[in-house]
Amino acid sequence: MVLELQKPRPVWQIMFSTHHTDVGLLYLITSLAFLFLGGTLALAIRAELFLPGAQIIGDAMTFNRIFTVHGTTLIFLFIIPFASSVGNYYVPIMVRYKDMAYPKLNAIAFWMIPPAGALIWLGFADFTWYATPPYSIISAPGPAADMWIFGLKILGISSVLGAINFIVTILKCKHPDMSIGQVPLLAWSFLSSSLIILVAIPTFAAALLMLLTDRLGVSGFFNPAMGGDPIAYAHLFWFTFHPEVYVLVIPAIGMMYEIIPRFSRKPIYSYNSGVFAFVLLSIVGFSSWAHHMYATGMSFTEKTVFMVGTLAAVPASAMHVFNFVATMWNGRIKFSTPMMWCVGGIALFFSAGAGGVANAAMPLDFTTHDTYWVVGHFHLFVMGTIAFGSIGMLYYMFPYVTGRMYNETMGKVHFAMSFIGTVLVFFTQHVLGLYGMPRRVFDYPPIPEWIAMNQIATVGAMIIGISMAIFLANIIYSSGKGKLANTEDPFGVGGKYYYPFEAKNPHHD
Amino acid sequence: MKKFVGLFLVLAVLMIVPAVDLVFAAGDEPGEYLDRRVIIWNLFYRLMTVAFVVGTVVSGTMIWQCWRFRESHPNAKPTPYEGTDW
Repeated sequence: MVLELQKPRPVWQIMFSTHHTDVGLLYLITSLAFLFLGGTLALAIRAELFLPGAQIIGDAMTFNRIFTVHGTTLIFLFIIPFASSVGNYYVPIMVRYKDMAYPKLNAIAFWMIPPAGALIWLGFADFTWYATPPYSIISAPGPAADMWIFGLKILGISSVLGAINFIVTILKCKHPDMSIGQVPLLAWSFLSSSLIILVAIPTFAAALLMLLTDRLGVSGFFNPAMGGDPIAYAHLFWFTFHPEVYVLVIPAIGMMYEIIPRFSRKPIYSYNSGVFAFVLLSIVGFSSWAHHMYATGMSFTEKTVFMVGTLAAVPASAMHVFNFVATMWNGRIKFSTPMMWCVGGIALFFSAGAGGVANAAMPLDFTTHDTYWVVGHFHLFVMGTIAFGSIGMLYYMFPYVTGRMYNETMGKVHFAMSFIGTVLVFFTQHVLGLYGMPRRVFDYPPIPEWIAMNQIATVGAMIIGISMAIFLANIIYSSGKGKLANTEDPFGVGGKYYYPFEAKNPHHD
Repeated sequence: MKKFVGLFLVLAVLMIVPAVDLVFAAGDEPGEYLDRRVIIWNLFYRLMTVAFVVGTVVSGTMIWQCWRFRESHPNAKPTPYEGTDW
């Protein structure tokens, strides 16, 4: 494991290393940097919507740019790289292999992320993370839009390379004595999400090329003026990005599977149901993409098929929740910071799922379509479940990465404020959606209910912002001056951990 | 645990029945828009009632078990796995 702060070595040695813990560290630092950048944009959005009329952002175009880069950053440059960081640290150790299957490919996959992030941030496109056609083709200003397209293209290639590496590492490099049925659930989560990436990403890769050639005027796939169809883009986009939701959430659930048994001081209640639920989610993720498109004039039969396909994810998700609840049952639970984040994450996962059932039911979808309900639902998943699981995992990994312990009190304050803030922002946005407020708007009419709920959401966002500042201070201070951790049992819960520091890093000899 | 599973099976059925109703609340026929809206909102409230009941049971269970099985609870006792390399 990388204990850089105890045994410093030149930065370039880490940057050009192909060892999985070094690449994991690079992923970790990069993803955290983008978390704070993307989060700052979220605060700007919420501050703007505190009251009707222009507040701190001058015009609608700038507002659109900010929320486009906010979404793109937090999904592609925080959540996915953070999961890759955890996978790099843990998967080779869990399958008892010396490194990832293809170490150089692993490093290349990481090094695609900074230039892609630079393209997205330097361009600052304005057409939403969906790259809405025909606007994105006809009038979205370049070179911002083109830079976004190239950035996403690079990130897609990086994801595919990473996915190949995880699949081969888990399936082909695991210890011969280890059957696939003994692979820990965290590694299973990476296997499932990597398989989804391999199947889903090529579709969007094709769509991006078509979008680019449409913008160049040499084709008209999605341009109605040239006989094209923007709805075709919607199909291609959602065929990739509905499964992508599971690519985001499955590793976070895998992280919870690592933390919850550890702090409950007993094994997971049902390993098999965890594996089954991962596999089931991977499959049904592909049967539900068009539930994003009920309002596009699909037939009754099509809508029914996709509604049933979407609801099929409910049992699989519920299996995870009940598995966690049953694992904690009769345990002796230590509520250290990572455990608190996971328990909070489960509660919000359940709430987000309940909202999702309403979205999936097609008649109800018409009442919530393109309203703030959708924003609240999606963010409850990405913030309430995925970010909660990820941040819990970060606290769990912290002693192994730095050799020091974070400040427990600050960690718990971070959790409490984030939990309250998340509920305030995203539960309120559900209600705001039922009141009819459309999403992706720069301004809104001065309806008293809308103003009140926007203000509650903004206050919640500020609470999250303050909690993230505490988090940043905690990790920076504790990395250098925190108490030295007992890396054999940093949380004092006993049992045998996976010890990332046992991975031999040749640079540490 | 069987009672636990049984309870959630019942709640799952309560969730599925209104969802099936919802499928048939939608339609492509013109001229029934207002009626459909009434039906849909009615179903929405029913679905939300079930969702809140299920949510209360699950959340309540989680809150109770977090309180009961915390390590500082007077009745907390070591699990059979403590002291082993499980």
